[in-house]
Amino acid sequence: MQHAQAINANSTVDDLVARFGVPAFTLQPTPDNTPTLWVDRSQILAVLGYLQQRFPMLLDLFGMDERLREHKPDGAADFTVIYHLLSIADREEIRLKVAVTDADCSVPSAASIWPNANWYEREAWDMYGIGFSGHPNLRRILLPPTWEGHALRKDHPARATEMEPFSLDQEKQDAEQEALLFKPEEWGMARATEDSEFMFLNLGPNHPSVHGVFRLALQLDGEVVVDAVPDIGYHHRGAEKMAERQAWHSFIPYTDRIDYLGGVMNNMAYVMSVETLAGIKVPDRARVIRIMLAELFRISSHLVFYGTFAQDVGQMSPVFYMFADRERLFGIIEAITGGRMHPAWFRIGGVAQDLPKGWDRLVREFIDSMPARLDQYQVMAMDNSILKQRTVDIGSYNTQEALEWGITGASLRATGMDFDLRRDRPYGGYDQFEFEVPLGHKGDSYDRAAVRVEEIRQSLRIVRQCLDNMPEGPYKSDHKLTTPPPKERTLQDIETLIHHFLNMSWGTVIPAGEASFPIEATKGINNYHVVSDGGTMSYRTRIRTPSFPALQQIPLISRGLMIPDLIAIIASIDFVMADVDR
Amino acid sequence: MEWSLSKPGDVIASSPGGGQESIEEQVKRNVAFAKLEDLIAWGRAHSLWPFNFGLSCCYVEMATSFTSRHDIARFGSEVIRATPRQADLMVISGTVFRKMAPVVQHLYDQLLEPRWIISMGSCANSGGMYDIYSVVQGVDKFIPVDVYVPGCPPRPEALMQGLMMLQDAIEQERRPLSWVAGDQSIRKPEFPARRDLLKEGRNQATELRSPDEV
Repeated sequence: MQHAQAINANSTVDDLVARFGVPAFTLQPTPDNTPTLWVDRSQILAVLGYLQQRFPMLLDLFGMDERLREHKPDGAADFTVIYHLLSIADREEIRLKVAVTDADCSVPSAASIWPNANWYEREAWDMYGIGFSGHPNLRRILLPPTWEGHALRKDHPARATEMEPFSLDQEKQDAEQEALLFKPEEWGMARATEDSEFMFLNLGPNHPSVHGVFRLALQLDGEVVVDAVPDIGYHHRGAEKMAERQAWHSFIPYTDRIDYLGGVMNNMAYVMSVETLAGIKVPDRARVIRIMLAELFRISSHLVFYGTFAQDVGQMSPVFYMFADRERLFGIIEAITGGRMHPAWFRIGGVAQDLPKGWDRLVREFIDSMPARLDQYQVMAMDNSILKQRTVDIGSYNTQEALEWGITGASLRATGMDFDLRRDRPYGGYDQFEFEVPLGHKGDSYDRAAVRVEEIRQSLRIVRQCLDNMPEGPYKSDHKLTTPPPKERTLQDIETLIHHFLNMSWGTVIPAGEASFPIEATKGINNYHVVSDGGTMSYRTRIRTPSFPALQQIPLISRGLMIPDLIAIIASIDFVMADVDR
Repeated sequence: MEWSLSKPGDVIASSPGGGQESIEEQVKRNVAFAKLEDLIAWGRAHSLWPFNFGLSCCYVEMATSFTSRHDIARFGSEVIRATPRQADLMVISGTVFRKMAPVVQHLYDQLLEPRWIISMGSCANSGGMYDIYSVVQGVDKFIPVDVYVPGCPPRPEALMQGLMMLQDAIEQERRPLSWVAGDQSIRKPEFPARRDLLKEGRNQATELRSPDEV
């Protein structure tokens, strides 16, 4: 009931009810206290259009298959389309849901309200077969064009080993390659104007400067980019489907591999959404350990960005310095977690182990040495006149454009928007730390890099505060869903034994419901929306990643520039393909 | 061929024999005798040119092996080529996606013979933890692999160990010297599984380091 009151007290909801009338909405209480409203399909465009003024960012849009769900909320049918909106000015979120049936599986497209709805709707079509009427170009986005079926539907096989074994003969090879061929007409592109013929250049999916398996089809007039079509899906690992068959805890290693430069930062968003759903409180020591590790990984990710950014605009040596620092950082990560890139070290309710003896010396040595090195890199890379010429005023966009395209993180701050979830909607204990939020003002490639460089310093500051003020106490919550009873006691009484056995063999049962938790990850806002049907596995896990909308925006900021400028833009975005395709 | 190493600061005679070297000694010092096929195999093994190709997380560890601390150049394998036509080694570093498989095949076809493949990481080896609709369960489902490097992702050291094993194999591999004369078959050496070779030593480890100390 408290939730319902909290929602009713929300002014946005009052406003909506006043305008559209009470019967238009069904409220769904959620443990994360984000107002969640079911809206009828006939009214969704009007409601979204009305909300756009207040919520300039479409944070996420995704589908869901409700057909096998036992604890269906009021208003649900076969499939649901979920819109997650974010207001940065009011620090507010709202979730809207539209139910559709399998027989009439279509909703009106929101691409005319938020341009970034385009890709999200293509993804919902690809994964669930939900149609979007009025969509400019509704075609598959993640799976190959030759794919049959919609992979996230509950009746689609999950495992490769449940499907026909993969083989690739010459005939299939030719057919697949033909299907991947870029056809300009499909994208409404002309092959020529009256006086010149365009060249179409295929950049990727394997190219040294596209940072992974990413493909851009370029329409060129000489060396000038007339238009570009990003083609993604070459890195689709089916993480969301995977979540539906892993126990709540055993999905954690998969989250590491979403933003594979961000390590435990991914764990953070996932475990916090599950903790919100189950109402688990995390002890102080675990909270500070998490923040310290997350910030160390932010430094690591930004160092890779820094080095590759400099390299992509033509500097050969900086990357060697940044990777050497990253190696020193991995020494610490390895001493604490035992892993390097993918430690899978956070747990629901805490972390996997306590910090080892002597961790503080390692961390202190690292953070003491870094500022002087960053000064050196500043001279070597950021102050370099050629680097500046390559990146200043290249690929600029303003705050308004960033918001409507769903750009978050350092790229948003580079436009001058003063917004960081760690400070503005503190989570996991960030409110106890002192740090500044660095800003740019031009929103160009140079500013995007400069903001990240300054963020490394701020992260060092946070890590130092963790080091100096590490609380004593348990590293894991004693909540029954997170920590099994002590092993010694299992041999004393049957109740404890059974509890221990079930927790170990089946996994924990998270109460039915849904919750999401946005965090400020290395590349922007990372949001896990988890839905439990009261089982040992998630019913639906949606992963909203910051890199996905960033790639969608590339054509907008590269039109009219030269190919080398496009390379500088790609270098300045800071994305990894696993964070795009999941 | 005779040769020796010296330390910095050693007094080196301008001519090792003091100018009194016999013809035999001079020949020993300056001329190497080898079978042509041995010499070519040795050359091939120590000048592998990798193709700049990466799929996912493993590629970051592969790139780390190029940078200062690990420096794969020590093993003659740092000449990264951006086109498969100039490369003879392709490291399949990462997950082989079904959408990417035809592209991997296309790139593989463009590598000129002799060519070698290292499969890096669990995904490329077998699909690893991704038994999922969009992932091919191991790159060897459609292209042949010479060395499998385990790990998720393997450390840079593991990749370099894989590279050195490949170099050993190439050094022992025998290929026809001409396409008109002699045996036209390619003879590859037998390599027992590392697991079997290392089993005895591993079994002797009885005390493992505690994770409580750094």
